[in-house]
Amino acid sequence: MKAYQADIAKFDANDTQIFGISVDSVPANREFAKQNGLTFPLLSDFKRTVVKDYGIFNEEGGYGNRATFVIDKDGVIQHIKEGSEAIDPTSAEDACNILTHKKATQ
Amino acid sequence: MIKTAFSFFFLLAAVSIAAAQPTPTQTPAPAKPAPQAPHTNLKVGQAAPDFTLRATDGKTYKLSDFKSKKSVVLAFYVLAFTGG
Repeated sequence: MKAYQADIAKFDANDTQIFGISVDSVPANREFAKQNGLTFPLLSDFKRTVVKDYGIFNEEGGYGNRATFVIDKDGVIQHIKEGSEAIDPTSAEDACNILTHKKATQ
Repeated sequence: MIKTAFSFFFLLAAVSIAAAQPTPTQTPAPAKPAPQAPHTNLKVGQAAPDFTLRATDGKTYKLSDFKSKKSVVLAFYVLAFTGG
């Protein structure tokens, strides 16, 4: 999450809203945001409906796995990274960049 | 008639005994495969499932509210306080 925070300007520049999302409660996420200096909103999927909808719910652990999805302005998924690959935000930034440029050339 | 009934009974008994026998060639249950990290079945080009969730800033966000306004990056993380 810190890596995403560090690159928040790049996401902002591309007219992108970034969300962290986990199955933690809102108070737990607030504490997490405070300790890590995160300024973007963290969503609380307490009921685990979204992690299930996105197919990354870990049944045994009862939590969502690490993954990053980039969704364009039409609500279409443009980029998916899962597991350890999702820690580095670079490829998500690139995807946002491409979306911005696509929009500019249309 | 009695003979037929008797043979039928015998046949039935034979079948029941056979069915009750454990299959000698039964192989032990295969070892449980190591739990694998679930992978999303969503694909690039598909519509992102909508959601409405509460956030740390006290607001409630609906994904579809961003339509034709902003791109959205959803960074799912395992649990708070696990790093990353």
